[in-house]
Amino acid sequence: MASDVDTAPLVGRADQLAVLRAALHDGTGPGQTAAVFVTGESGVGKTRLLTEAAARLRDAGAVVLTGSCLDIGDASPLHPVLQALRRFDADLTTAQARTSSAVRGLLRTFAEDSGGADSAGALLERVSRGLSLIAEGRPLVLVLDDLQWVDRTTRQLLLYLLAGLGDLQLSVLAAVRAESLQGAHPLRRVLTELRRLRSVRVLDLGPLDRAGTDLLAAEIVGAPLAPEAAEQVWQRSGGNPFVVEELARDLRDGRDGLSDTLREIFLSRVDALPRHAHAAVHAVAAGVEPVEHWLLAEVLGLPEAELIEALREAVAHRLLVGADDGYRLRHRLVAEVLAHELLPAERAGLHRRYAEALTRVPAELHQARLAHHWRLAGEPGRALPAAMAAAREAERLHGFAEAHRHWTAALQLAATPVTGPVDAPPEVDRAVLLGRAAEAAHKSGEHARALSLLAELTGGEPLDPSCAVRIQRARYLAAAGRSAPAEAEYRSVLEAAECTARERANAAARLAELLLHLGRYADAGQRAREALELAASVDGSTTEVVLASSALGFSEAFLEDPDAGLAVVRRALETAERSGGPEDVACAYLHLAELLTGPLNILEEGVVVARRGAERVAELGLGRTYETRLLAIATNGLFRVGQWAEAEKVVAAALRHRPSGADAVELLLARCRLSVGYGDVEASDRDLEAVATMLAGGGAPRHVLPMLILRAGLAMWQGRHDVARQAVQRGLTESRSDDVVLLGTLAWHGLRAEAEAHASRTVAVDETAVRRLRDAVDRVAAKSATAAGPVRVNANGFLALCTAELSRLDGRGDPDAWARSAAEWDNRNHPYPAAYSRLRQAEALLARRSRSSTATALLRQAHEMASSLGAVPLTSEIRTLAGRARVELTGRAQPGAGRVPAARAGGSRASGPARGRTAVAAETAATPPGADELALLTAREREVLAAVAEGLTNKEIGQRLFISERTIGVHVSHIFDKLQVRTRVQASAIHLRNRGE
Amino acid sequence: MTEPVWGPVHADIVDLLADHPEDVPAVVDHLTKLQDLLVRLPPLEQSCPLADFNRLYLTITSRVLEGLYDDYFADPVFLSRLDVEFAARYFDAMRLWTESSPTTPRAWSCLFKRMRGPDARPLPSAAAGVNAHINFDLPFALVTTFDHLESEPVDGTEQHRDYLKINDIFADKIPTLRRGYLERWQLLLDMLNGDIDDWYQGELVEYTRDVAWRNAQKIWRCRHDPQARDDERTRLDDNAAALGRLLLSPLGAFLQ
Repeated sequence: MASDVDTAPLVGRADQLAVLRAALHDGTGPGQTAAVFVTGESGVGKTRLLTEAAARLRDAGAVVLTGSCLDIGDASPLHPVLQALRRFDADLTTAQARTSSAVRGLLRTFAEDSGGADSAGALLERVSRGLSLIAEGRPLVLVLDDLQWVDRTTRQLLLYLLAGLGDLQLSVLAAVRAESLQGAHPLRRVLTELRRLRSVRVLDLGPLDRAGTDLLAAEIVGAPLAPEAAEQVWQRSGGNPFVVEELARDLRDGRDGLSDTLREIFLSRVDALPRHAHAAVHAVAAGVEPVEHWLLAEVLGLPEAELIEALREAVAHRLLVGADDGYRLRHRLVAEVLAHELLPAERAGLHRRYAEALTRVPAELHQARLAHHWRLAGEPGRALPAAMAAAREAERLHGFAEAHRHWTAALQLAATPVTGPVDAPPEVDRAVLLGRAAEAAHKSGEHARALSLLAELTGGEPLDPSCAVRIQRARYLAAAGRSAPAEAEYRSVLEAAECTARERANAAARLAELLLHLGRYADAGQRAREALELAASVDGSTTEVVLASSALGFSEAFLEDPDAGLAVVRRALETAERSGGPEDVACAYLHLAELLTGPLNILEEGVVVARRGAERVAELGLGRTYETRLLAIATNGLFRVGQWAEAEKVVAAALRHRPSGADAVELLLARCRLSVGYGDVEASDRDLEAVATMLAGGGAPRHVLPMLILRAGLAMWQGRHDVARQAVQRGLTESRSDDVVLLGTLAWHGLRAEAEAHASRTVAVDETAVRRLRDAVDRVAAKSATAAGPVRVNANGFLALCTAELSRLDGRGDPDAWARSAAEWDNRNHPYPAAYSRLRQAEALLARRSRSSTATALLRQAHEMASSLGAVPLTSEIRTLAGRARVELTGRAQPGAGRVPAARAGGSRASGPARGRTAVAAETAATPPGADELALLTAREREVLAAVAEGLTNKEIGQRLFISERTIGVHVSHIFDKLQVRTRVQASAIHLRNRGE
Repeated sequence: MTEPVWGPVHADIVDLLADHPEDVPAVVDHLTKLQDLLVRLPPLEQSCPLADFNRLYLTITSRVLEGLYDDYFADPVFLSRLDVEFAARYFDAMRLWTESSPTTPRAWSCLFKRMRGPDARPLPSAAAGVNAHINFDLPFALVTTFDHLESEPVDGTEQHRDYLKINDIFADKIPTLRRGYLERWQLLLDMLNGDIDDWYQGELVEYTRDVAWRNAQKIWRCRHDPQARDDERTRLDDNAAALGRLLLSPLGAFLQ
């Protein structure tokens, strides 16, 4: 009689299945990710579609992991992933021992991961490594149902993996209830952002059409329905397959017309159940799914034979489904129908029996479930310890949002008045609960909540709170962006006699840091000095010294006494090395590198410090966080001074740490900046997608503008004005006017797009856009005039570019404006924009048909600079102009022109030093002008060619040069084009011929 | 076969709604295209109730966009995200209505139902749209925006002040719009009391926007609790729908 359970055919979803397969299987290659999110209303068949697609992907050779999220809130971080792994492990045969041990290894990671010093990012990294061991090179599919209930940590894991940071060939297939996405669901925004990416599809699953409805009903009944019956099913179901199925079944079984709504259908079924089966259905509805068999036996207290009989009945009536890991309601709609059918006392009794059974036998999600059941059983006293344990467990997995939720529940439980014969809550120090809840709230970004918890902590007392609590409060206030009260709080600590010197030093140092962020450099410097004085009298206050020194160093740099500032920060590094902990040393390096590459613009030294610091902190065991950040600084510095090959190497090394969060975004942006410069469209696109994926998770508006700027820059090399304009437009409406450097960069990109539209004579200039860009430039000029020195200098470079681009819009371009821009950038030691400015200066001169010798010299300089950077698109623009103007580029460059960037000087590759040197030798030797067959190749292409000549495959070259195999393919085809050859052998021959002696 | 929801412009509207604007310029563009389509809806065409609301909304959003370009707001990132998120709810409601989904917010469906009706009047229609959009959509848009920016709805912040600046834009735009479409009613109202509808329109926006901010703070506190969040949504939907129906009833017209 249970023969037809779950055998209803999948009707009307062939297109969707094809889309899923195309997106998740056919479209992905090694190292690529893809995702499909299926949204739809309850009963529309999401789970069914997921199951079907998962089976097909499994058949096609993918490793499929399947989990579901739970509706008991942020119950436990990463629960669906854990569940998927357990299920997968249970299904493995003995022949798959290796996979099984990989799965168990990963499961142990969850069990053993210790919080504290380790970061949430490290956990993500470990999970992704574990997944890659399980996949063993096969494509991995993560199927997640009921994603509307996903916890925050799992959400972050998904974005991390989809951004490609896990280095896995991974697809995600997830189902989300459409109803839940209304209102303020956190996934709503994430899905809107992801929707735009090429690698992500959001599939809105609608109801069946009339034909599909008829077909499904006919399949279930076994024959086509009579027209009136078919019409009735259509009218009542609205094409919802779940309802169609149930109505058709009633029709087939002669219960036609008994029930009009789904609610009635289910109620009549539940009523028809024998007593024990009835109880089983209600028990499962009150439990946390899947409810294990042993647990159900405990809760129902039935002998095994009767229990099995009861469950068979419930399954046969299509209310329950059973699987290896336990029982579930066949559909959540059933739970909603049943929700109001029990008396409160009956429900509390069920929860009590669950809690008692779980107390005896620990199970999955143990503490969270215990807390849940005891609370609903009306036993706050017994729920409290479980809630606290669940909170600590969540903290251990860095799930601070979940921990905060459990601490809050614990606070409520501790305050619940106890009535009747239940245990009173154990004595728990409310202050401790409040403190833990506040810190968890702060760490999950809920600063206002953290503050109100602190207020509760101190509210009852007439005395001032302790100094430690006041510093804590000031930190939360600062994090919440409420600088004025934060400042007042720090001051109060500084003035309080009862606070220790150490506490005051701490407050002064933090206050200095806050003031620095507010741009109050003089005040910041004063507080920093105060902190340093206080710290001098206290042993072991290195942390305060480092913090205060950095604040002082930056404030001096901004107040134009850079040498004094630099000296202070250098001294802090010495102090840290002498007497500080690893974290102090790391911070000191970070501050020094930031100071040098930031306001002081001493790039070469900054890069050296950053790289030396990176090595040092790796020794100290802080690789993941600080090394990554230091390498990001080094990468950006190297990019600016024009050592792109070196920058690429450093960024690849940093990404090998698999950073997450903001660190990952910084590095992806840095790498993308290089790819845009190289003109590697594919690599740029991939990084932009990865950045967008990470940003879909929210936060960090400061990363949005750099992403838009890169998008615009890439679009301009592709001649896609519309894309560039859109990016700039969005950037202009989303940037603060006091962020002069970013706004200036953005305005330059916008003006460049318009100027090039003007020059093209085919794309119309957008006059409104030009007007707005002029306004933006005026604002940048006004704001930067009053800004601190280093900011002003930096903004001036972009203002010079903007002014020069405007001159192109007004006429043929003003060579003097471009000369000024080139000089600005030469002064800043940034060859890339300097080369661009020379190109435009030459163009403007040539357009006036005057001073062609100057133009020739400029073009040669620009060409020399651009091609030694490897800036392919810029080089080719220079060549195009030179071709039009009949300028011979390979002639001797002017002495002193183009400060011969050191791109190649330090360019020996880390892997195989001997080979690296050969490549460098090949480049430096390739000089005889005109005769050099390799002259057309970029530095990058020459490196690739050298490797080709060694007989390496694209994959091996990619590994050596830290770029993707596919990018190497692109380079190789460019090389073939330029050398006009068709085989690797021919290309190698030319390389050997030109290698020099 | 029954007539599609959007009549002769159904396909165009479905196409338009398939796109999800990601920044304020795109929202303005979207609303502009929508306006062109809505005024072609028979039988009322130019005076379709939804077109009346859309026109008002377009005017206000265009003004917000100008403000963003003109450095009018202290925190443009917040305001842009809010504007996009806010508009997304309106487009979502239209999308759900297009699919005849039973989950279309009732706050909106009471206006959508009138779309083709004979007795729609421009001012109550626009007011009912403003009501649904501000009383129902805005709190959720605020919560999503804060959540996305990892910020929080706190009184007296830059973001709160920017939010309140929108009231000035509404106040600035509504009288002119009202004059644009209300000759007959205006005459009647002037005879009664020239100030009533100024008060009425001005207050509605300012009052409900304040309520929306406080509702957002309320939802913010329970946003991780699916049950409480859904209850809150139902409550707001019920309230907004009740007010919307009142505005659209003959009584609503009479009030003006």
